[in-house]
Formats: sequence, C-alpha cells, structure tokens
Amino acid sequence: MKRRSFGQLGISTCAALAIGTAQPGGWLQTLAGELATQDQSSSVTDRILVVIQLSGGNDGLNTIVPYRDELYAKARPKLGIPSNDVIKLTEELGLHPSLRAIENQFSENRFSIIQGVGYPSPNRSHFESMDIWHSCHPKKDRSQSGWLGRWITEQTAHPTSDSTAIHIGSDTLPLACQERGVQVPSLASLEQMRLKAKLDSMQDKQSRPGAEPNSKDSGSLLDFLSTSTVSALEVSERLDKILAQPDASGDFPKTALGEKLRAVSRLILSGLKTRIYYVTLDGFDTHANQPDVHASLLKQWSEALAAFLSRLKQTGQHDRVLVMTFSEFGRRVSENASLGTDHGAAAPMFLAGPKLPKIIHGPMPDLSDLEDGDLRFKIDFRSVYASVLEHWMMTDSRKALDGDYHDQVEQLRLFS
Amino acid sequence: MRPDQSLSTMDPKVAWSPWEPTAQEPWDARRVRHLMRRGGFGAKPSEVKELVELGPAKTIDRILGKNNTQALEAFEQESSQIVSAIRSSGNIESLAAWWIHRMIHTPSPLIEKITLFWHGHFATGADKVNDIELMVQQNKLLREHALGDFRKMVHEVSKDPAMLLYLDSASNRKTHPNENYARELMELFCLGEGNYTEQDVQQLARCFTGWEIRRKSFRFNPYQHDSGMKTLLDRQGIESGEEAIDAVLAHRSMPTFIAGKLVRFFVCDEPNPTAEFLEPLAEVFRKSDFTIEPLVRTILSSKLMLSDWSVGKKVRSPIDFMVESIRSLQVTTNLDRLAKGLDGIGQALFNPPNVKGWDGGRAWINSSTLIGRSNLIVDLLREPATRFGRTDLAAWLKSQQLTDQNQWLKWLEDSLLSVPLNDSDKQLLQSIAEKSDGGLDPWKRILVALSQNPKMHLS
Repeated sequence: MKRRSFGQLGISTCAALAIGTAQPGGWLQTLAGELATQDQSSSVTDRILVVIQLSGGNDGLNTIVPYRDELYAKARPKLGIPSNDVIKLTEELGLHPSLRAIENQFSENRFSIIQGVGYPSPNRSHFESMDIWHSCHPKKDRSQSGWLGRWITEQTAHPTSDSTAIHIGSDTLPLACQERGVQVPSLASLEQMRLKAKLDSMQDKQSRPGAEPNSKDSGSLLDFLSTSTVSALEVSERLDKILAQPDASGDFPKTALGEKLRAVSRLILSGLKTRIYYVTLDGFDTHANQPDVHASLLKQWSEALAAFLSRLKQTGQHDRVLVMTFSEFGRRVSENASLGTDHGAAAPMFLAGPKLPKIIHGPMPDLSDLEDGDLRFKIDFRSVYASVLEHWMMTDSRKALDGDYHDQVEQLRLFS
Repeated sequence: MRPDQSLSTMDPKVAWSPWEPTAQEPWDARRVRHLMRRGGFGAKPSEVKELVELGPAKTIDRILGKNNTQALEAFEQESSQIVSAIRSSGNIESLAAWWIHRMIHTPSPLIEKITLFWHGHFATGADKVNDIELMVQQNKLLREHALGDFRKMVHEVSKDPAMLLYLDSASNRKTHPNENYARELMELFCLGEGNYTEQDVQQLARCFTGWEIRRKSFRFNPYQHDSGMKTLLDRQGIESGEEAIDAVLAHRSMPTFIAGKLVRFFVCDEPNPTAEFLEPLAEVFRKSDFTIEPLVRTILSSKLMLSDWSVGKKVRSPIDFMVESIRSLQVTTNLDRLAKGLDGIGQALFNPPNVKGWDGGRAWINSSTLIGRSNLIVDLLREPATRFGRTDLAAWLKSQQLTDQNQWLKWLEDSLLSVPLNDSDKQLLQSIAEKSDGGLDPWKRILVALSQNPKMHLS
C-alpha cells in the first residue's frame, strides 16, 4: 500500500482537527499514528473482534437444545427439536440440526456457548432491548452512545489511518458503534463504496467540501454531514486501493451474512488495521411458522461463520480474530398458536475463533423457574463484553461499559 | 425564532402560533421553497412566484386542500393504469416505481408526503406480505386517512391484512394469544415505549384473539376469541379488540406521541421535543377529535416551522433528495431503476427496514449512502431514458435561459439547497466545471459535484 505523502496527510489532519473530528475512530489520523503502525509486529494490539448481531430475538432454546428436559418437550409440543435430531454436545445439550457446519469447531476447542445471558428487568421491545445491549444502559439514563463507540475513543495508543471499527451492511449504523466525534463507516458492500464519477478536484483534500468548518456550532447537522462526507470520500479512496488488489477473501456461501463476512475477510486479509467489524443478520422474530424460518437462519449463520473461520485458518489468522454472536433477547419458553414463539428474555451468546478454554459456560437453562414465562438470566451481557474487552482486546472496559465488571470477568474466565 | 435558539428556551405556545412575515423574515421565494420542501417534494420552478404572491395563509390552504380536481382526476386515472399494469405483470417490485411516479407528478404533494409518513409509521414490508393487491390496498388506506380521523385509521390498520400478515398476527387463538400486534400497537403506533406494561401487552393480545386473516380478508372467529374481561391500561371491563383499540387511543400519551412524530417528520430531526413543548399541538389534536388535518395545519403554519429556525434542521431522506431534484429539473427517467437506487441508499418504498420504519435524521447518512447518493445521480445522468423537460440537458438549459455555468450553479443553489453555498464551495464547483474528468460534460459535472456537497443533504 502506498503511503500518503506528508503534505497531503498534514492537510487532511489539520482539516479534521479544525472541525474537531480527529478522533481515533476516524480515517484521518495523525502522522505519528501512521508511522507508529508501520513497523508494528503482530501482537495483542492486532487482535480483531467481529460482532454478529442476530436481530429479532433468536430462540436460544431451539439453538442450543436441552433435549432431555421434559419441561422443554412439554412447552414445545410442536416446535421442540426431537432428541434424535439434535447434534449432541453433552449429555444434556445439543445443537439445532441446522448447525452442522460449526460442529467441528467444538472438537477443536474454538467455540464457546455462554448460557443464560441477559440483564435485570428484561425489556421485551426489540428496539428497547437492542438499545440496552448496545448502550449498556436501561432507557432512563441512556446517552446516545454505544459500548464500542466509547471503547473506540479510548484507543489512542496505536492509532492508524484505518478506521478502528467498520460496520458492514445496509442497515443503520448500530447504536453500539456510535459516540460523539467517532465516525464508524457503514459499508453496504465494498464494491458500492467506489465513486462512479471521480472528480479530480474532489480528490484534492484541501478543497473538499467539509474540509473546513462550515458551521460554527459543532454538533449541528451540517457539521455532521461535513465530517461524514470527508470520511466517506476517504473510505472510498482506501477501498479503491484494496479492491485493486487480488481478492483473497475465499469461498463463502452466497447468502446475506456470507457476503458480509466475505467482505470482512477481504478487509482483514488486505491488511487493514481495523479492530472491530460489526455485521447483522435479521429475521429472528419468529412469531409464526418458526421451524423453517429458524432452521434456515441458523444454517445461514453457521455456514457463513464456518466459511469465515476456515478462511482465517487457511491464512493463519485464526488466532487473532474473535467472533462474538448475540441477539437482543431469547423467546418465550412456551410456543404460541401460530407455530411460533413470542418475545422472551435470557438466551445464549457465542464466541468463536481462537482457542477457548471451555465449550459451555453458565448453568443449564432452568425451565422450572421462569419469570413471566421467560428464562431468568444468569450472566449479565456486560460481563461478557467486559471479558472480551479485557481478556481478548486486552484493554480496560470500564469506560466502554460505564461500569466495573472485573469480578464477573474473573468468575467467567471466557479466555485462557 | 433565531436559528440557534434551543427548543427548551422557547415558549411552546408562541412556537406553535401562526407565523407572520416581518421585515427580517419576509414571505419570499426562499421561504416558499422551504415550506414546499417540507410539506411536499419541493416547489416546481413555475409555482414559486405564484405562491409568493398568494401569501402564506393561502399557500397553506392550497397545500392542504384538494383543489384542482380536474388535474387530480387525470392524475388518479394515470396512476390506476400503472397499478393495473403492475397487477398483470405480477412484479411487486414495481410498486415502488409507481409510488415515486405519484410523488413526482401529484397535484397534491402533501398527501403523498404524509402518506409516506404513515407508511413509515405503520411500517409494512412487501417482501414478507408478498401480495401486490394487499400492499396497494394498505397504501390506499393510509392515503385515504392521511389527514383524516386518526382513530379510524388505527382501527382499520388493525384489521388490515398486509399489516397483520407482516406482523405474523394473521391468526390469534384463545389458548395461545400472539403478542406481536398488541405490542406494536402500543409501542410504535399509538403510545411509545414506557407508556404501558408487559401485563398490558398480554391483556391486549387476549382482546385480539379470534382476529384472523383468511383468504386475504379480515375475519372475526368467535370460537377462537377469549371473551373474558380484560383490564387494559388501568381500564377495567374491556372485552373486544375494538374496545381495546379505543382504550389504547384514549390513553393520555397518544396525542403527544403522534404530534412528536409529525414534528420530527415536518420540522426538525432533533432534538426530540418534550411533552410540555408538544402540549399545544396535543391540545389541537384533542380538540379536533383526533383529526389529523388541523394538527398538520398548525405545524406547517407555525412560527417554528416558517421562521428561519427550522431551515436546515432536517437531513434529506433519499426520497426527498431524489424526488426534489427530479421535480426541479423536470426529469423523466427509468423509475424502476430509481426505485432500486433508493433501496441502495436506505429507502426502499414498501420495504421499510422493520416495523419501526425508517429512523431518519442522521441515520440516513453513512459512508455508503453518501457515496451511493452521488453514484445514483451519476447512474441517472448516464441512463439513456433520462430526459430533462422531455429533451436533453443542453436543450433544457437553453429553454431555461441558463447559458453560463455560474448561472447554472446559482439556479441549482436556489432550487435545491436550503443552506447557501459559501465562497469555497462555489470556487470548488466552478473549478470542477473547468476540469474535464469523470467522463461527463461540465454541466453534469456540477450536478455530480453538488451531490457530493454536504449541503445537498440538508433540508
């Protein structure tokens, strides 16, 4: 990759500083930052986190099935997965049959299930619960910032010219990645980021609109649009260079999530210094006709994930990339009359990628002790986030999570 | 209202009282364009002068009224012909192009605009419903009540096949009530989160048992209805689904919730106004027995709306961005392609992202959508079907007496931007016209460069 000349970089940096957006999340970084990364050897600061969000509320009980629990069979006369069909993990728990693609990750100790994850006083609105997972706060004291957004503002030690986080998808930038002054690019796809008519004058950073303060009040919509425009043109330029290189992403299923993880794979293998990738898979709100819909979503998730992990392995990257999967809530233990399930509470989370010490964390789901018909949570999702930030990303988690979860992290021991 | 004044320092009564022109804030072309942008899809160049002469009050009457019935009739006829063609082709994706056609050509832009608001409010996705007839039927329902009786609209939406299919609520049995529609009715359609309990969701779901969609129509199935008494939102003795909807609609937070969403749609993306600030609007809504027209009229003619305060306070939606440009430049083009393009930049008509609709505001903007907006303009400029006033751009420019590029730039600034360009913007745009790059002629290059200017995304 060609380094930018001193002059160009200086100008864009000053411009960014002038509009107050030269945060570590931006593509515009200080020269010192660029130089620091040049001879950076592989280390924990190279580690990557990929977040997969299953939107709509994934049915945890039919994902990791307590196939010997009589209460499960009783609550799910039509929707329960028969014990003959599950892929057995333990004497009590098995995988939904559509998860065949990730089966071998367990034998290689590269997959962990964290059971019963949730938070106190569960909210059963998709949007509210998702916001709680993103912001780490209940509604009443929520600011418009997310845990990853706050984490990004702290990563000043190893700044690079590449964005600290990237969201791949045409959905709205998740609240998790938002924070004032942080620009996390949302890319519908890598190819879509190419400008169809490049105007040379627009490539001249000095004169780019938005490269100088347009408006006195920072935080205004115009200010936001200006910094977003600068960032978009920078990202587009960087991706032009990446797309000019041969595509090393590997084979992926031709599904929505497959395409997204293929893009992540391509960016990682191109040497981008981005630390966090965020993707979503929607459709888990299975109020009706759940069996087919859920099976096909789980298949999509597991096959895309398996392709991703396998590509990382082939390229020797699999020890530096962690994939974390979550959903905003699980589903009601009892099925409804439409062959579906309504909104529930606690559900499992999943980690995959590097060697992990344990396959299953947390107790068995207790179907005899429900709260309004839903599973009670046993592990606070914030303690999982804290473990990932502390023991995987090797950073402090307190500011990102607005709380201290060190005790729970020690108890959980998600990483060796 | 000064542009930098914060909502919290304003007297709500004053903010929502009718705006009057002053020496500093005259009723001029700029204000006409602002109002037409928000209450429609921009003013056509030909109507600006006329509306300036008409004055603010009559302009608002015209925006809200169904005048020009002859034009309306011809328009509806053309529109229904397009629907018939889509029906026989069976191509549900073309519905988006049909609606865009309506937005561009309608004699009553406000109706299309507020129907778009209700589509985002009562969001329903064609991908899932997968039925042209039902989507058209719902769109008609929303348009029919767009400025009418809100309570009637909610009752009808609650029995609308497309809505109930979208929310998996096409069957509701006594033994296992489905909570989906019950929850969204309170959370997203009427009250807002925090104004009801989980208990209320479960009780409301019981009221809807026996409500079914069979062969594409609503049907009440008494055998599956739980006829026990329910307590909903602290009201006792509620039995039927209809009574339950009335109880939800009678909740004190309903008028404020609806007024707040309309303010965000018409006036400003942020900040979210407080209930206290919205109270005068809620009062208008209550007094009119929840008729939408007086509420929208109050908003559109208010000091907050028509003073300089609200100029540039909204991010253009993809539809605003494209349809305003198309109307101003009298463009005709391949609307299926345009509809697909809008999907690519975050606004697929008939396929909102989820039941919450489009978040709007800053959420419209990210790296992909900004690049995508510019690319969409380029695509349409290169599209062979694209015409300007039924001819090519050069001929159209001549017909508008735009003979040099500075005039062209000024014309675009006046017609399309709510916030004026500064000197460095202008210098850049002029230099872009001079350099030959991007494979386009200088006139088109200016248009493309403008699409990459942050101000182009403000309304």
